[in-house]
Amino acid sequence: MRTTCSIVLLGFVAPLLAAEQDGLTWLTKMANASRKLNYSGTFVYQHGDRIETSRIVHFVNPAGGEFEKLETLDGPAREVIRTNDQVTCYRPDTKTVIIEKRSARRFPALLPDQMGGVADNYSVIVGDTDRVAGYDCQVITLVPKDRLRYGHQFCAEAGSGLPLRARTVSEKKLPLESFAFTEVKLGGRFSREQVRSRYADKSRNWKVDHSTLVLSDVPADTGWTLTRQPTGFKKLTELKRSIAGRATVVSHIVYSDGLAAISVFIEPLPKGRPVQSLSHQGAVNIYVRPVADHMVTVLGETPAATVMQVANSLELRGGRGR
Amino acid sequence: MNKISEWMDGELDGTTARRQVERLKQDTELRHVWETFHLIGDVMRGERALSPDFERRLSARLASEPTVLAPQPRAVRKFATYALSAAASLSAVALVGWLAYVNNPLGPQPEIAKAPDTTQPVVIAPEPQLASVPSDGTMNEYLIAHQEFSPSTEIQGLAPYIRGVSSLQPVAAR
Repeated sequence: MRTTCSIVLLGFVAPLLAAEQDGLTWLTKMANASRKLNYSGTFVYQHGDRIETSRIVHFVNPAGGEFEKLETLDGPAREVIRTNDQVTCYRPDTKTVIIEKRSARRFPALLPDQMGGVADNYSVIVGDTDRVAGYDCQVITLVPKDRLRYGHQFCAEAGSGLPLRARTVSEKKLPLESFAFTEVKLGGRFSREQVRSRYADKSRNWKVDHSTLVLSDVPADTGWTLTRQPTGFKKLTELKRSIAGRATVVSHIVYSDGLAAISVFIEPLPKGRPVQSLSHQGAVNIYVRPVADHMVTVLGETPAATVMQVANSLELRGGRGR
Repeated sequence: MNKISEWMDGELDGTTARRQVERLKQDTELRHVWETFHLIGDVMRGERALSPDFERRLSARLASEPTVLAPQPRAVRKFATYALSAAASLSAVALVGWLAYVNNPLGPQPEIAKAPDTTQPVVIAPEPQLASVPSDGTMNEYLIAHQEFSPSTEIQGLAPYIRGVSSLQPVAAR
């Protein structure tokens, strides 16, 4: 009897596991395509009742080096250039450049154990096929297993796996944010010129703000810890760094559930800053609060309650933060 | 549940009491009841301070969620005598449910996360009580610094960086 039951149960569970594995394989395929494929196109970023259009070019040279350019097409001009070791944002209206130095190695986000994290925290469903920007694409839905995280839906180009659309939905299943290509060209040859900023030369006299990771490959002990780490989130890294526009060294701790990430930034309490605030940018919630004589900024693409739980349970080891 | 209230009142013998511990370990719902009962006791003994405009917010809350955590009336009989002295029984129970939900930062959130039990009204992540406003651009450096470490960047490439340069944001005076 027991054997029969087990077999029946196995027959029921095995396809489910296979379906989930299929979904995780699609996620890996999307990440690989985003990293290794040459592509260019126009995408819309929708958040709240706003829609913004941008142009993106991604180019991989024969040595495997990645070059990427993002430029906004409406509103004030902005450009973001990403190369292997840094991200540069150009703001011609204020004549400012923000340079974000990346760690020596590209941060390996989608490791197998993180895919495990995705499977622990979300039900991964391979759905129907759809069409985005003229390409057939596979819908992959991630349904959160609790209220600590948002739901996600991707549509990955059927052949290459490049994500053509990404949506984030709230706990109440309301759309929070979406990225979708309206036109995209896959493959093809690119020149370095196409991923160079048009402001590269002009910006020589602009104000430059640097963000740099200090000891990027050696995680620092910032002395801060969480008393109530949200279920399913693991600490990815902990470091001390500089942040553009901030004079002092900032502690930066990152938690992730395999898909969503929460960053904690801790710096000395500046004068004249608001004591407590909650804001959002698309699916990212940002919560600022003072802890002892520090200002804590917690942000992540999770519900506000999760970001606040992190901020409210942060303390210096030994209770010095309280 | 009667057993739980009897146990809390010290009316059970050793063996029966120990059996309640086992039940509690296995039954999430019962654990919530147990926590709620303790909360009732705490509140009635005045061990939990209420915030200034508590009454107004409670009324608002009750108006929007009239069925917040109503344990079986039979189960609260022992505590009902307690509660009745303070308020009408139903609002007291709702009050306690509300308190368990709002004033209990060490509440059972991790268990909540694991239990896919949608029949429990208390099992909702606390709603932020602070109004969220659209980001004014002062957080852009942080958004950009955060993006590198987010797996979403790995899946979507550079696109999520748009959040850090969103053109409709006013640029903060620097």
